[in-house]
Amino acid sequence: MIPRVEPGTVGPCPVAADALQGIKRQQTNPARWNGAGWQAFADAVRAAGVELAEGAIACGVYLTDAGGTAYGLPHGVVIARSAAQISVLLKAAQAHRVPLTVRGGGLTTEGESVAFGGVLLDMTGMSRVLAIDAAALTVRTEAGIYWHSLAEELRRENLDYLSAPLNLTSSVGGTLGVGGIDVNSARLGCSADQALSLQVVTPTGDIVECSDDENAELFQRVILGYGQFGIITEATLRLRPYTPLSMHYYYYSSLRTAIEDLQMLDSNDASDYSGILTIMDCAVNLLVAFDSGEREAAFRKNWASRLRGFGEFGFALSMAGHYALRPWKFREALYLLQRKREVFPEFRRTEYMRDGKMHDRSVVFSRAVWKHWGSRNMVIPDLATPADRFIEAVERGNAVCRKYFRHYTLYCVGIRLRPDHGPHYEMSCIPPAAQGWAYGCEFEPMIEGGVYSRDHFQSFKNAIYDIGVDLGASYYRFGGMMKGYIRRVFGDELVDRHLAMKRRADPAMILNRDVIF
Amino acid sequence: MPAFLARMPAAARDYSACSGCSLCLLVCPMWRSRHDPGFSPEGLAKALQCGATAAALAPPLDACSLCGACDAVCPERIDLSGMIMDLRRRLANSPLPDVPRPALPDDLHSRLQQGAPATAPVAPRSAPVLLPGPALRADAALLAQVQALLGIAVFDDDGDDIALAIEVGVVIPPLRLQSFLDSLRGHSIVAADGLLLRQLRRWLAGSQRMGLGAALSTRAAVRSNLGAGDLYVIEPRAFHADYERMVGFYDRLQRETGCSFNLDLQRIAIPAVAPGMAQNPGFAAGDEVQAKWILQGRSPARIVVESLADRAVFGRVCDLPVVHVAELGVDPQMMKEFRHAFG
Ligand SMILES: Cc1cc2nc3c(=O)[nH]c(=O)nc-3n(C[C@H](O)[C@H](O)[C@H](O)COP(=O)(O)OP(=O)(O)OC[C@H]3O[C@@H](n4cnc5c(N)ncnc54)[C@H](O)[C@@H]3O)c2cc1C
Ligand code: SF4
Ligand code: SF4
Repeated sequence: MIPRVEPGTVGPCPVAADALQGIKRQQTNPARWNGAGWQAFADAVRAAGVELAEGAIACGVYLTDAGGTAYGLPHGVVIARSAAQISVLLKAAQAHRVPLTVRGGGLTTEGESVAFGGVLLDMTGMSRVLAIDAAALTVRTEAGIYWHSLAEELRRENLDYLSAPLNLTSSVGGTLGVGGIDVNSARLGCSADQALSLQVVTPTGDIVECSDDENAELFQRVILGYGQFGIITEATLRLRPYTPLSMHYYYYSSLRTAIEDLQMLDSNDASDYSGILTIMDCAVNLLVAFDSGEREAAFRKNWASRLRGFGEFGFALSMAGHYALRPWKFREALYLLQRKREVFPEFRRTEYMRDGKMHDRSVVFSRAVWKHWGSRNMVIPDLATPADRFIEAVERGNAVCRKYFRHYTLYCVGIRLRPDHGPHYEMSCIPPAAQGWAYGCEFEPMIEGGVYSRDHFQSFKNAIYDIGVDLGASYYRFGGMMKGYIRRVFGDELVDRHLAMKRRADPAMILNRDVIF
Repeated sequence: MPAFLARMPAAARDYSACSGCSLCLLVCPMWRSRHDPGFSPEGLAKALQCGATAAALAPPLDACSLCGACDAVCPERIDLSGMIMDLRRRLANSPLPDVPRPALPDDLHSRLQQGAPATAPVAPRSAPVLLPGPALRADAALLAQVQALLGIAVFDDDGDDIALAIEVGVVIPPLRLQSFLDSLRGHSIVAADGLLLRQLRRWLAGSQRMGLGAALSTRAAVRSNLGAGDLYVIEPRAFHADYERMVGFYDRLQRETGCSFNLDLQRIAIPAVAPGMAQNPGFAAGDEVQAKWILQGRSPARIVVESLADRAVFGRVCDLPVVHVAELGVDPQMMKEFRHAFG
């Protein structure tokens, strides 16, 4: 089938800087918008009082996303200030057929929040907390706010959000549109499930409040909808009382055993937080944490002895024995030792601990992630599967990582599903067959200053995504991957139904074009 | 031992290393007040990556308060405030006619040329000396209290012209700088100006230096008067200039006294005032958003400040008693002896 080319675009350029030569799958936003109508659009929005910045310096901040493999510049940038301003912008964008790319924290890794021409709307300009209701345990906030900025304000009231990415600079709106997985998601679900209601500006510029009870269809499409059906400008979120957490680590040398133990804990509600973080498949760290002494005591009494992992000392001894018998693997042993020296202290830094408890998990994890995993390229394909297919997905993904990179990390968490949110999950990161829990694994190579071609990265990602197609999985980072995989994963009927909805909602197909459709 | 197993302090890097993680944005008061990435360290680094000139970046360069919070959080270890000072220097010394330049005090250049008048040294080498800065010098009573608590002489050349030159990007004549540093060599230094302290760390590596607030809070007389009802406002520049050590220092102070701090969840000091360059030479007041943010959701009985500018701003935004940290340790007997000793 010949892909439909939207008016005002030109086809993918095989020699462009971001072209993926030799790889059939398309990258996000492969089509360059040719700029037709830009000046008339710019004049119109300026006449309506919208501040539009042009030029390399204003636009350069948005050159790429956290992935650092897709580069593109918008023609102009608008910093979001209000729903009314965004409404004006969207109406003009529809009228002039100018693509509009929304950006929150820009933590996508496939270029979904990179604008390849058109206008980029930076949502972080809308970062105010509007009202905290401590009695009802809810907050109303502008959606461009970073989760961390929200946490700063909530903490002054001794409150916390339920779950958010372990990253300080993802925004509320960007996360509600894609998922949001925390180490407590096995218990509290993904971030998108904690939204009670939203203010959305539709692609045609209407400002609409929506929730499960009001404009429910819009709510279902915008939640986990990858910014296709509207721009989230405000959100009401559920909260909980703040507690510091006490964290325990168990170490495994087998991915399978660690995952079995993780799933055992999750299905028995044995801990408040759980997840797996690895150094390749050699040192597999199962972390469990608790909000209260009672929960921790119950865990110790009922579950701790059933875990098959070691403590730090026991694991070090077992590793020493393992590598003593395999001297040809001394490089791997040295690497493990180096990572242990560098990374372990990050999770115990005294400034983030009080009386042995971690005060803010996102601060600890996010700082560690950027310091020890972060670089100008972050390639993090992932798989989200039903619980019973997760071990196979991780083991196969692990083999792919071994093939493509010397060093890598796997990060696994469970996501508790809300039975009443089936419609939210349709064509989303939640795999269609998942019941009760979905499980997600990120496959993150360590770039370590190495230079890899874009084709190498893309081949690696495709090899991971192919496992997903095979297993009926879904993916967290849709974006560029999704365009190539969406029909293979979800089937034509479902995709066409959503495409028809998109065309109705966004006649000029200007909002976050080419990300999904 | 293989090199990679040794914990080497990594060298600072430049803007080209910026990965765009945005961690600096979260702690930047300039970004907080505008929510425009152009006014953030990340925005500056990215603009430089896109080839921006100092002149094109004049507004954010002007607005930066050089609080140093961004340096402390950058995972790529970019010397961001150093980058900003460097850009300010380029801006201030640009030969181009239409480049915006900061308004400077009329006598700054002549003071830098002349240097401090030569006088007999007030303290023997190796004795601790105080660089009080203009605000503290203007408050004779408080200065006397500081001296009494620290048992320390005011250094005759306290380098306030140099501090200002660093701030606004004026080139410091080498002779002036040399004579200043030579006169300080061998002394332990207590400096009220966090920016000057930051530079002294580099210029006089190996010397003993401390910020005024931290030095005062080491005194038992001060510590014994701090309690759980106190919100202790750390001066950000000195704190971030020696971040790793200072985090531990103030943690101990908190454990010992129970006071709370103006620290955020990343343990970065929230500045109570964040004046841009235009306000600094005259020490005019910045806006009050930051001080209000420090107080939001908190109900201390008293505010203790390390910096005089902070005393003024808290005095404006709340009815709480606001005291300088030196005022916590006042002992009339000590004052008497001290006045006698130092005149
Ligand atoms: C180092 C790193 C660590 C990460 N860790 C985690 C983790 O622990 N858990 C996790 O769940 N995720 C994680 N992620 C993924 C990332 O956090 C999510 O993709 C994130 O939630 C996206 O938020 P954002 O604000 O950065 O959105 P962006 O990347 O800016 O945007 C995401 C998508 O949503 C659209 N969008 C943005 N804002 C809006 C809005 N207001 N309304 C409508 N559409 C919008 C954009 O156009 C884009 O298509 C990580 C990513 C990185 C790079
Ligand atoms: S020094 Fe302070 S005000 Fe200046 S850019 Fe860094 S954090 Fe922002
Ligand atoms: S913290 Fe450092 S690496 Fe991250 S955005 Fe800021 S300058 Fe760039």
